[in-house]
Amino acid sequence: MQLLRQMQTGDEAALEVLYRRYAGLVFTLALRIVGDPELAREVLQDAFLRCWDGRETYDPRRGRVPWWLMGIARNRAIDLLRSRSHQARLREQEPLSGATRTPNQLDTADAVALRHGVARALEGLSAVQRQAIELAYYGGLTQVEIAEQLDEPLGTVKSRTREAMERLRVSLWPLIEPRREE
Amino acid sequence: MTEEHEHFIEDLAAYALGSLSESERSDIEAHVTSCPACARRLNEYQAVAGVLPTCLDPVEPSPDAWASIRTGARRRRPTHGAEKRIVLPNWRWAAWPLMAGLVATLLVWNVSLQREVSLRPPGPEVEALARRPGRLVILAGTGTPSASARLLVAVDGHHGHLAIAGLRPVSSERAYELWFIRAGAAPAPGGTFRVDASGRAWVAITVPVSLDDARAITITEEASTGSAAPTGQYLLEARAWR
Repeated sequence: MQLLRQMQTGDEAALEVLYRRYAGLVFTLALRIVGDPELAREVLQDAFLRCWDGRETYDPRRGRVPWWLMGIARNRAIDLLRSRSHQARLREQEPLSGATRTPNQLDTADAVALRHGVARALEGLSAVQRQAIELAYYGGLTQVEIAEQLDEPLGTVKSRTREAMERLRVSLWPLIEPRREE
Repeated sequence: MTEEHEHFIEDLAAYALGSLSESERSDIEAHVTSCPACARRLNEYQAVAGVLPTCLDPVEPSPDAWASIRTGARRRRPTHGAEKRIVLPNWRWAAWPLMAGLVATLLVWNVSLQREVSLRPPGPEVEALARRPGRLVILAGTGTPSASARLLVAVDGHHGHLAIAGLRPVSSERAYELWFIRAGAAPAPGGTFRVDASGRAWVAITVPVSLDDARAITITEEASTGSAAPTGQYLLEARAWR
């Protein structure tokens, strides 16, 4: 949060620190959604510049700063995917380039714990619950669109989504509850 | 609880995942301004959604990506307050009584989960409960300031995982060892482990003593076969936990 306050005063060094810390996470998520390194880079740039110029404001009640950034990046990536869906699908067929698949050298124990904790929590969901999360979060589909795609009742999809998130919430809360020092 | 309210609760998770239509989002945003319980639950779901990508294989952007952002930032000036996202209830955050309440809630939740484990017959369901993280211990790098560790103790109190970052890789004759330090009793070993080339590890561990009986939890470097007692400097240490 200190970094964000500094950014509000126009401190470019604070923006760079924020970037160095979270660019990998943001880029990874963007790439997962849009499937193209150039589009992912566009999402990356847009997300950080929206934080910089105040178009996105941080609310600590919604979780820690990196997860707030994930939300921004995810929304921008979905917008991009929906507006350029055709080009993105074409690009998905090309081999990925322009990105480096390497472990984040700045990983902390928190990041290690979270990565494994989230993976285990997702494994604990049923296949249809994981699918509900996948289609909603990474696919950018509304509940209605998911119901149509799966040819299932809307009520079933909504219940499934809620049950999945509730199980994830209970499993992950010790790892993710907001801390004051962020 | 009314049927209408149940409908809102049903949509909180989908909202957090960004999976509602525009009109449904507006309905939720209007509802949470007057329902603190739903607002809290929505915040929790949003935190969950925020961490979903952390399990993806990390991919770093190209090194020149920062230059583009810096150039863009210099063309813009922060105009904070000009545009805001959703409106949440206007209640203050981070007062000490609220923090105490969160800690108390976690303790009560932990006790209720342990009771739940003890009441159920053994089987896959109990195992799933047992593996759910019940307590979190943060170890700080005392001897190695750049290192950090998180000990996640499952609800059953006997198992867990240890996440480590920032320790240097050691030779095959050496290993790191986890210790539970007790007053008036010998330190109890929690197992040995090594880190990868990046200094990280994710290790399944057995918790040999109750956390309530431990005075400190530490990590030292020892011979690869382990040691009867800590012989090395405390590299990471915790003296308080939830």
